[in-house]
Amino acid sequence: MKSFQELILLLSDYWGGRGCVLQQPYDLEVGAGTMHPDTFLRVLGPEPWNTAYVQPSRRPADGRYGDNPFRLGKHYQFQVIMKPAPRDIQSLYIKSLEAMGLDLSVHDLRFEEDNWEAPTLGAWGVGWQVMLDGMEITQFTYFQQAGGLELDPISVEITYGLERITMFLGLSQSIYDIEWVPGGTTYGQVRHQEEVELSKYYFEIADIDFLRQQFDGWEREAERCLEEEIIFPAYEAALKCSHLFNVLDARGAVSVTERVGLMKRVRDLAVGCARGYYASRERLGFPLLSEAGDEVAHG
Amino acid sequence: MAKGNRRPGDFLLEVRCEEIPARMLRPAIDQLQAELAAALDRHGLAPTAVETGFTPRRLVLLLEGLPAAEEDREELVTGPPVRAAFDADGKPTRAATGFAARCGVAPEALERVETEKGEYLAVHQQIVGRPTAEILAEATPRVLSRLSWAKTMRWGEGEGPWVRPVHGVLALYKGEVVPFELFGVSSGNATTGHPTLSPAAFKVRGPADYRKKLQARSIEVRFEERRRRLKLQMEELAAQAGGAVVPDEGLLVKLASICAIPGVMEGSFDRAYLSLPREVLVTSLRDHQSAFTVEKDGDLLPLYLTVMDRSDDPVGRVRAGNEWVVAARLADARFFFEEDRKRSLAARQQDLASLTFHDRLGSYAEKGERIAGLAEMICREQGWSEELEAAAQAARLLKVDLATEMVKEFTSLQGVMGGVYAREEGYTEGVWTAIYDQYQPASTDDAIPRGRIGRVCALADRLDTLVGIFGLGLVPTGSKDPFGLRRAAHAVLRILLDGELALDWELVAVRAASQYGDRLTLGKEELLAALRPFLHDRIRHLLGLQGYSYDEVEAALAGGASNLPDLAARVRALHETRDNPEFLSIVLAAKRIANIVREAEESELDPELLADAAEIELNEALDGLRQTVEAAVEEAAYPQALAAVASLAGVLDRFFVEVLVMAEDPDLKRNRLALLQEIQRTISRAADLTAIVVDKGDYK
Repeated sequence: MKSFQELILLLSDYWGGRGCVLQQPYDLEVGAGTMHPDTFLRVLGPEPWNTAYVQPSRRPADGRYGDNPFRLGKHYQFQVIMKPAPRDIQSLYIKSLEAMGLDLSVHDLRFEEDNWEAPTLGAWGVGWQVMLDGMEITQFTYFQQAGGLELDPISVEITYGLERITMFLGLSQSIYDIEWVPGGTTYGQVRHQEEVELSKYYFEIADIDFLRQQFDGWEREAERCLEEEIIFPAYEAALKCSHLFNVLDARGAVSVTERVGLMKRVRDLAVGCARGYYASRERLGFPLLSEAGDEVAHG
Repeated sequence: MAKGNRRPGDFLLEVRCEEIPARMLRPAIDQLQAELAAALDRHGLAPTAVETGFTPRRLVLLLEGLPAAEEDREELVTGPPVRAAFDADGKPTRAATGFAARCGVAPEALERVETEKGEYLAVHQQIVGRPTAEILAEATPRVLSRLSWAKTMRWGEGEGPWVRPVHGVLALYKGEVVPFELFGVSSGNATTGHPTLSPAAFKVRGPADYRKKLQARSIEVRFEERRRRLKLQMEELAAQAGGAVVPDEGLLVKLASICAIPGVMEGSFDRAYLSLPREVLVTSLRDHQSAFTVEKDGDLLPLYLTVMDRSDDPVGRVRAGNEWVVAARLADARFFFEEDRKRSLAARQQDLASLTFHDRLGSYAEKGERIAGLAEMICREQGWSEELEAAAQAARLLKVDLATEMVKEFTSLQGVMGGVYAREEGYTEGVWTAIYDQYQPASTDDAIPRGRIGRVCALADRLDTLVGIFGLGLVPTGSKDPFGLRRAAHAVLRILLDGELALDWELVAVRAASQYGDRLTLGKEELLAALRPFLHDRIRHLLGLQGYSYDEVEAALAGGASNLPDLAARVRALHETRDNPEFLSIVLAAKRIANIVREAEESELDPELLADAAEIELNEALDGLRQTVEAAVEEAAYPQALAAVASLAGVLDRFFVEVLVMAEDPDLKRNRLALLQEIQRTISRAADLTAIVVDKGDYK
C-alpha cells in the first residue's frame, strides 16, 4: 500500500524516466493541471513536448468544510503531457500503474468512453476515464483542439487523481485518513484545516463586489498584455479571471444567464492567449522543433 | 493459375485499436461487413458464410468460402475510330499500331465494331480474373479507413481521422497475409491477447487457430455469446441468492459491449441502504457502476451484479474495490435523499423561481403555473371535474424535483424522484403517479402515463413547451432539435391516441399561447400555422409506425386532425376498406369527380332539372346515402360510413356511362355539376378519397 508522497515519487520517477520534463506546480490558482501553461500553451503548434508534474487544483464549489470523506475543494492531480502522443502510450500508461505497485493480474482495468471538453479553454479531446475495479482513477485524453485551435501533432494528457488513487489502493474510508508520509503524517494532518477554512471563505466570506472588481481588472490586464504580445503575463491574468469566476460561482453570486457571459469572457481571453502563443512561437521559428531536428541530424 | 489454388478460402480480418466507445461498435462492424461485401461483389466474389465479432479493442470479420479469384472473362476493348486508323494507302496508322501494341496483338488481329459514334477498331481480350488476395488488399483498407463514426479523432503526428488509434491488423486469406497498410500500420499474421492479462503478441494461422488461441486467453469476440454468457451467469448468481435479476436490456447490451472476457462481478452493499427508495438504488447502481440489482418478491436484495473484463477474481480485489466505490456512492445517495426530505415539495416550489426554463419564457415556477392552467382547461374540456383540483396540484409540483439534490446528481431520475417524494409525503396516488410518469412516453415504445391526472399534466407540460418554443420562432430544423420538440410532439400524440382523448390539441395550444402573454413573437394564427404541419408530420410518422400506409394517413388527415382518436379510427377504417373492390371503384370515381368539379362554381342542386334516368337514380341513392353516412360519422362508425360510400359505386358508374355532365344546355350542366359537388361532399365526410393511391393492378 503506497502513501501519497510515494505515489508522487513513483509517478515522477516513471515519467521522468521516459523523457518528461519534471515540471513543478504552477504558482497560481488553477482548476486543473490542464491549465498549467506547460499543458495549455505547450500543446499548441508543432513543437514536441513531454512533461509531468503535480498540480494542486481548486474546485471551490466541491469544498465540503472537511466533512465529506470523498470530496475536496482543492486536490492534487498528477499530470502527464506527451506530444506527439507516442504510439504505445496506452501501454506506457498501463506500465505506470505497475510502477505504482499495482499487480494488474488481480485487478479489472477498463477504458470507458469519456470525452473531455473545457469550454472556458476552447478545448476538447477524445478519450476515456480509466476504471480500476469500478473506480475512476485516471482521465486519458487525446487533445484535438485547444484555445479554439486545431492541434497537430496530437498531445496525450494523462491525469491521475492522486488522493483518490491513494485512498482506493488502501480502501480507506476517508481522504483525511490516507498516509501522506509512509506510516506517518496523514493527509488530514496536512490539509484538513485548509479545507475547512477555504470552504468557509469560498461559500461564506468571499467579498463578491471585490471579486467582481478583480475579475474586471484582471480581464483588462490580460487584454493589455495581449496587445503588448506578452503571452505569459496575459495568460496568468486569464487564469486569475478563471479562478475568480469559480469562486464567484461557489459563492452563489452567478446567475444562470450571467454565467454564460462570464464563461465567454474567460474563453475569449484563453483563445487570445492561445493565438498569441502560437504566433510568438512561430516568430521564434518554433525553436524546440529545430532542436529536435538537430538531434536527429547529429544522431 | 494452378488448379489447387483456385479452391475457395477463408478471409480473416481483425483490426486492433484502443477502446472503441461501446455505442459505436455495432454500427461499425455492420458497416464494415456490408461495405466489404459490396466491394467484393463488384468483382463477382461472394463468401459462403459471414461471421462478425467485436470487443472494445477489436473488430473481427470472417468471410468463409471466398473464391480464390475473379472469374476469367472476355472484354471488348475499343481503340481508335476506323477513319483515323488507316492512311490513304489503307495501311495502319500509328494510332492503330499503337493500340495493337498496347493490347499485345498484331495490327492484323484487330477487329472492327460498330458503335454509336461510328466504326472503331477493337480487340476481344481474355482477361484473367484477379486473385482475391489482391482485391482484398485494395478494398479492405479503403473500406476500413472510410467507416463512418459518430465521433472521430486524430493521434500522434496527425494520423486519422478514425475512432481511436489503430495498433494492429491481422489479415489472412487462406492462411497467407493480405498485405496493406491502415494509418501507417502494416497488416500481418499476429495479434495480441488481453491488454493486462495476456498482452504478448502471438501468430495466427487461420480462423480455427484464431478462435482457439483467443479462447485460451478467455477472449470471446462474439458479442451475442458474451451477452448470453453474462445473462446466464447473472441469473445463476441471482438465483443462488434466492432472487432474480431486475431486467434491463439496455444495460445488458452495454455490459456485453465493454468487455472482451465476459466475467461477472458480484458485490454486496450494506442492508441499511435498502431503506432508500428502490428507484434510487437501481439508478445509482446502474448509472454509476453499470450494475444490475437483484430482487426477491418485489423487494431488492443488498446485492448487485456487473461485468469485469476477466473470468475470475483470484484474491477478491476486484470485488473489494467495487464494493468500496458502491459504498461511497450509496452514502452519497443517502445523503442527497435525507437532505431532500428535510424540506417538503410544497416548500421547495419557491426554488423554481430561480430555475430558468428558457431565458425568454421564464422560470420553472411560471411554467408550473401555466401547466396548472392548461391542466384545468383539459379537465374541463373532458368533463373530469373530479380530477380538476388534483391535476392543478400535481401540475404545480411537477417540476419541483429539478431543485432537489438527487435529481441534480441523477438527471435520469427527474419526475420519478418527485413522484417518490410526493408518495412519501402522502399525496394521493393520482398526484404522485402524475409527477412520477410525467416524462412518459420517453420513446416510441414507452408507455403513456398510467392515470388521468398524469396524462393531463404530461399533455399540458408538452403543449406549453411546444407553444413556447415555436412561439419564439425556434422551429426545429433537420437534425437540430435542442428542446426535444419532436419527442414532445410525439408524446402529445401518443397520449391523445393511446389515452383515447377526444381533445382538440389546437384549442389547448391557443390557450397555452395566451398564457404566455406578450412573451411570444408569433401571433396565434402564425403559431398554429407553424405548429400544425409539425404535428401532422409526427402523426404521419406515428401512424406509419403502426403499419398504416402513407396515402391512408393523408386521406384521413384531410378530414381533420384535431381529434386524434377519431383520426385513428378513420385511418383504420380506410385501411380495412381499401381492399373492397367497390371501394376502389369509388376512389377512382372520387378522383374523376374532383377533376370535373375542380373549376366549377358552387351551385345549388335543382332536383326538377334532373332528366336522365341514371342521374335521377343517383340523386335518389345520394339522398339515402347522405343520411346513412351522416349517422355513421356522427357515431364514429367509419367502416360503416365507408361501406355506405362504397355502395354508391354501381349507380355512379352507370351515371358516368349514360350521362354527359358537360351538357350543352348550361342549366343542365350546372345542375349535374351541383349533383357531383353534393356527392363529393358526402363521400368525403370521413376521408379525402382522392388521396388514396390506386395501383392499376388493384383495380379489377
